[in-house]
Amino acid sequence: MHVDIAEAMRYLGAESDAATEALVREAAAELEQRVQPRFVYRVLPVTASEEGTALASLRLPGSMAARMLKDSTHAAVLVCTLGAGFEALLRACEARDMARAVALDACGSAFVEAGCDAARREIAERFPGLYLTDRFSPGYGDLPLTVQPDLLAVTDARRRLGVTLTESLLMVPSKSVTAILGISDTPQPARVRGCAYCSLNQTCTFRKRGTTCAAS
Amino acid sequence: MPLPDLKNRFLILDGGMGTMLQARGLPPGAQPELWNLSHPDVIESVQRAYVEAGSEVLYTNTFGASAVKLRRSGVSVREVVTAAVEIARRAASGKALVALDIGPLGELLEPMGQLKFEQAYDLFSEIAAAGAEAGADLAVIETMTDLYEAKAALLAVKENTALSAFVTMSFEENGRTFMGCTVQSMARTLEGLGADAIGVNCSVGPDLMRPVLEELCRATRLPVIAKPNAGLPDPVDGSYNMGPAEFAALVAPLSDLGVTIFGGCCGTNPDYIRAAVAALKEKKPAPREFDACSFVCTPVTPVRIDGVRVIGERINPTGKKRFQQALLENDMEYILDVAVQQEDAGADILDVNVGYPGVDEVEMLPRVVKKLQSVVSLPLQLDSANPDALEAALRVYNGKPAVNSVNGNAEIMARILPIVRRYGAAVVGLTLDEGGIPQTAEGRVKIAERILQAARSHGIPDEDLWIDCLTLTVSAQQEQARETLAAVHEVRHRLGLQTVLGVSNISFGLPNRALVTQTFLAQAMACGLTLPIINPNQTEMLDAVAAHRVLSGEDAHSDAFIARFAARPETASAQSKTGEALTLQQAIMRGMKGDAGRIAKEMLAEVQPLSLVQEHLIPALDRVGEDYEKGVLFLPQLLSAAQAAQAVFEVIRVAIAKSGGESVKKDKLVIATVHGDVHDIGKNIVRTVLENYGYDVIDLGRDVPAETIRDTVEREQVRLVGLSALMTTTLPAMEETIRLLHTLPNPPVIFVGGAVVTPEYAAHMQADYYARDAREAVEIAKEVLG
Repeated sequence: MHVDIAEAMRYLGAESDAATEALVREAAAELEQRVQPRFVYRVLPVTASEEGTALASLRLPGSMAARMLKDSTHAAVLVCTLGAGFEALLRACEARDMARAVALDACGSAFVEAGCDAARREIAERFPGLYLTDRFSPGYGDLPLTVQPDLLAVTDARRRLGVTLTESLLMVPSKSVTAILGISDTPQPARVRGCAYCSLNQTCTFRKRGTTCAAS
Repeated sequence: MPLPDLKNRFLILDGGMGTMLQARGLPPGAQPELWNLSHPDVIESVQRAYVEAGSEVLYTNTFGASAVKLRRSGVSVREVVTAAVEIARRAASGKALVALDIGPLGELLEPMGQLKFEQAYDLFSEIAAAGAEAGADLAVIETMTDLYEAKAALLAVKENTALSAFVTMSFEENGRTFMGCTVQSMARTLEGLGADAIGVNCSVGPDLMRPVLEELCRATRLPVIAKPNAGLPDPVDGSYNMGPAEFAALVAPLSDLGVTIFGGCCGTNPDYIRAAVAALKEKKPAPREFDACSFVCTPVTPVRIDGVRVIGERINPTGKKRFQQALLENDMEYILDVAVQQEDAGADILDVNVGYPGVDEVEMLPRVVKKLQSVVSLPLQLDSANPDALEAALRVYNGKPAVNSVNGNAEIMARILPIVRRYGAAVVGLTLDEGGIPQTAEGRVKIAERILQAARSHGIPDEDLWIDCLTLTVSAQQEQARETLAAVHEVRHRLGLQTVLGVSNISFGLPNRALVTQTFLAQAMACGLTLPIINPNQTEMLDAVAAHRVLSGEDAHSDAFIARFAARPETASAQSKTGEALTLQQAIMRGMKGDAGRIAKEMLAEVQPLSLVQEHLIPALDRVGEDYEKGVLFLPQLLSAAQAAQAVFEVIRVAIAKSGGESVKKDKLVIATVHGDVHDIGKNIVRTVLENYGYDVIDLGRDVPAETIRDTVEREQVRLVGLSALMTTTLPAMEETIRLLHTLPNPPVIFVGGAVVTPEYAAHMQADYYARDAREAVEIAKEVLG
């Protein structure tokens, strides 16, 4: 798997700067050599009732999950992480060169996304002829962070990936993603688009500059 | 029931519990430990089936019975553990031992997570004490991926109970745990800490576990445990792919490697254990071959001492004004920088000495150790004359360290060696005693032999004793160089021990010290010196080591030597693009750290430190800041410039430390990431930039309770506080911190920032300023502090 350099540069807010690109390429090369994204997932049946949407016994509050999964019979719960190795690498880098550390941090974000994309491809291959929805995560729209403990529990991510939660429901190691992908027998439109779905919609650096991440 | 003698016999453990309970109705994601209270009969029936299948040890259903994991369950650790031990005792009905199962706490330890080592120890102690009281026969610490957590658990069992302790960790196919721990590091550390058996569980099946077990069986004298999964899980439905027959056929041959304790983990059931027992009937415990080479380690870096290994000497205040100043000012960043430089220069081990008048070593040494091991991957040699400081540091050290030092004095050995033994460290023995330093090689070797006897009598293995035959200054006692070398030869070749020498002393008072030191180093290595304590930043010294490795044959085909000299850059003179000499401003703006420091040093001959800062450094940083705002420069360049400025400040600090003057730091401010928030790169960026405008930044770190911030502000009389939060879930903690700071009689000015903070929310929380980025933080600091 590879770091998407352009994506990492977008995270840094420096899309076309040559000096930044050189730094990002260097950081990405080191990252790819030292760390790989790892993921686990688990497929569960979707049920919809008056109480809301659920995956087996796992309840998903809010209207977004219901909308995302309305055509799905099953859904995959995915956890992807760069693991503790990334944190150690970043700490060592911060102690030496902060400029390089911010580049590495951006590469890490892009890399864990690449891991999620790889997981999506693998899940798609496991269900030929079926269709996947966009992936969505706690913190998007009205799906609360309080479902995090359940997502980690059903995937056994603590044991299988070493991903843990703090009391304030943050994942450690930090470059970790939990996500849900609906599995449906009808083609799925792209639903997660636009800032309304994003938990950063108030503070996004793109919006501050009058643009969006999709536009740039 | 007593644990049987584990020599020359197999011991059969049990198999999986979680998968068995799920088959009996435990919903996915539910906590199995709660069933000890709600469904004791189900647990007992599973365990009974294991006894019938041939298990001689039952793990209690307490894998997740930590206070952290039971936090929201409404039941106590004691209730769960007591019930679990009673159930297992009933199921065993005299035919099996009851092992208190201790799994990971469920929250990561520092530096990765927020849990302190001491807190982890307390949480494990609670489980261990409850298990022992309920009557467990032994304790098993399992599925660990963090060596630090395993150490906390092992110490908790050893210090709070009389139980034997087995420890197993989970390794991935690449031979490391999730946290990067190596097999060697695990083996050397846990055997040193007094584990009774060690091994591997979970993660993979018996086939993929084999290489790890092969390495482990050579790396320890202890009995070795294998408790593999039933192959690998299917990601879709979580089912395991290996049946009992295949499992047993792969498990039994593990005994040929020397494994003697067997069981199953995820996906296994009594059928797997029954099959394994049958397959093992054909096998006998195999002889083991222990690799008795000397080791020290961190979790990620085991250092095997089978050749010359360099101990870096720079973390030591003796004769170093700048280091003394850093210690007195609690400047951890400086100490870290000294460590990082030595690591990058090629040191293998770092000596750590923080002894200086006015410094409380008992508090400082463990603090520095924690700071260093959060960033540096090299093993440490803990260097102190204070036994309490050594013990405090040994306790929090993650891995196997060395201790510097004992000597031939019986009292000192009686005080230090038991601590060395308890924490499983290596130890340096100086060849001197109350009579001083013997003037002959023979006299020093005699003391070495005495220390060796004492170490053996304390149960310290020979490979963990390193002898220092002592370097004396050749300009004062010329004949002593020969005696030192002769003693090194004798200790290395006749006693077979590792040898240490503080090499640099040799040349004191002579011209061209580097040449004399380098020559002595080469002679000493030829005589058998394996652990020179030197300054790794002096290129000549590591060049000599590199050459020695070629001559000794360690550096096969001279590959490392050739690479070392091929990579050495030509020293180019710094020039601007037009070919003119670079100015300080240009060097800073381009982020040229080395050049900025060098030019600043030259300028200090003529310019006062303060005007260097005001007239050259700050204007350069301002230009960079403006370009950043305009979008001409980006965050990495802003930080590079800040770091170049840091190099200039360092030059100024060294100059001032030498002349004994006051620091040039501007006013103090406090920054912190609020309670509950573990992301701190944004805050670190702000710190880097503020520091390089000369502000004295008190960085309280991440996940900082509101009270700590308030107390610091009060104690240090701080006028400006910066708070960062990255997650919506931690915004309330930010609000609470501001509220608490506003209760102070003279509240500080507060600025806030971070991904989720908006100007509107900042105003709502009654923060005084919103800082969009590091650049704005500087503007705020200028406005408030000047």
